[in-house]
Amino acid sequence: MEDEIIMPGTQIADKPLRLSYGHVENEKTYSTVLGLKREDKLIPLKGIYEPRFGDYIIGVVSEVKFSGYDIEMKTPYPAFVPDRMLREKLDHGEVIFAKVMNVNEIGELDLGQVKVLKKGRIIEVPAVKIPRVIGRDNSMITLIRESTDCSIFVGKNGFVWISEKGNSALAISAIRKIVREAHTSGLTDKMQEYLKNSN
Amino acid sequence: MEEVELFKNGKRYDGRTVEELRHVKIKAHVLNDADGSAYLEWGNNKIIVGVYGPKECIPRHLASPYGAVVKCIYNMSPFSSLGEHGRSGPSRRSRELSMVIGQVFENVIEREKFPKAAIEIFVDVLQGDGGTRCAAVTAASVALADAGIPMKDMVSAVAVGKVKDTVVIDLDYVEDSQGQADCAIAFANRNKEVLLLQMEGEMSKEDMQKAFELASIAQERLHQLQVEALKEVYMHINEGDAFVDI
Repeated sequence: MEDEIIMPGTQIADKPLRLSYGHVENEKTYSTVLGLKREDKLIPLKGIYEPRFGDYIIGVVSEVKFSGYDIEMKTPYPAFVPDRMLREKLDHGEVIFAKVMNVNEIGELDLGQVKVLKKGRIIEVPAVKIPRVIGRDNSMITLIRESTDCSIFVGKNGFVWISEKGNSALAISAIRKIVREAHTSGLTDKMQEYLKNSN
Repeated sequence: MEEVELFKNGKRYDGRTVEELRHVKIKAHVLNDADGSAYLEWGNNKIIVGVYGPKECIPRHLASPYGAVVKCIYNMSPFSSLGEHGRSGPSRRSRELSMVIGQVFENVIEREKFPKAAIEIFVDVLQGDGGTRCAAVTAASVALADAGIPMKDMVSAVAVGKVKDTVVIDLDYVEDSQGQADCAIAFANRNKEVLLLQMEGEMSKEDMQKAFELASIAQERLHQLQVEALKEVYMHINEGDAFVDI
């Protein structure tokens, strides 16, 4: 069945629902983004990443400060990693994988559990498509890792890091394919086929 | 400018009826490097809109801890029309339009989700023929939806006015400058809230009511065109091809 494409302001349900891309007004829920409606659920096609506690993100060191580092990660404000969360020093331009430890009420972030990623590249995907790249119980990302021998890290903010070791070109094209077809169902099977044929 | 017969035998000087809009064409997602964009042709108006954000608010003293600020820059290209508009650089008129277009979208964008950030709307008029502020609002709404900026509702706008004692909709430059009144109205689609109302000239209360009826019918049509433009993009969805080099 074809999903209905909905616009900002389209009604999703006639009861108040707590949705990340929904807006409640007069006990009714409306969409706030361009998306698809599938059985009272809203699948966003467009959207902005909102950091939450516990998210894992990928960022780039954009500034070295006295007591830590500023991390650029495509949010309105740079995130901050305090020195005490790190065992080693970072350099401008280094890529890190980290956990969001704190988000305050004006959206400023503190990061922790930092891992430095070396020898690889970042590709940018829309943040709303990240759940599809990961798949249910990491199924999709495990599939890509296994078929390409790459080490892959996925940040909730929309950055995906792929190691230069392994077939990284295939991994990148697979991720782009997922992004293009993120709204379709049975994607893991399709990707299995695609990766088998390309290998 | 040469005087023309603005209203004759139930038809306007360009052959339209009282409630007929000019031809409107909207295309969403036309720019690769903007977060969201739209191109709109409305009669002889040609407008391109690019949207960025939410991003860091510069200068910082404009940022608000309560929500994102909406910054709009409306600009008419030097070749956009004859007459006094179209000189380069900001003018009194373009400053005003920037302000009112920004204020329209402050009402519908979920600003409180992005404190201390800024959302930027750049409106460039490539060719102007009356009613550019309405066209700009209509196009900017499409561009914002394309950018994925959360909005409570979509907005579309249309001008109504009075020429030769007749209430008409969607005035072009000639009707605007030689008519009796011109009034821009922006509606939120869902609850028909009025988000912009600016009038030049004079209209009676009855005329205004008539004008409102015409405008709300036209608004439905414009919303439909906006939706079609966005659906068109979704059909040929082809994104995620962009690599970033940081």
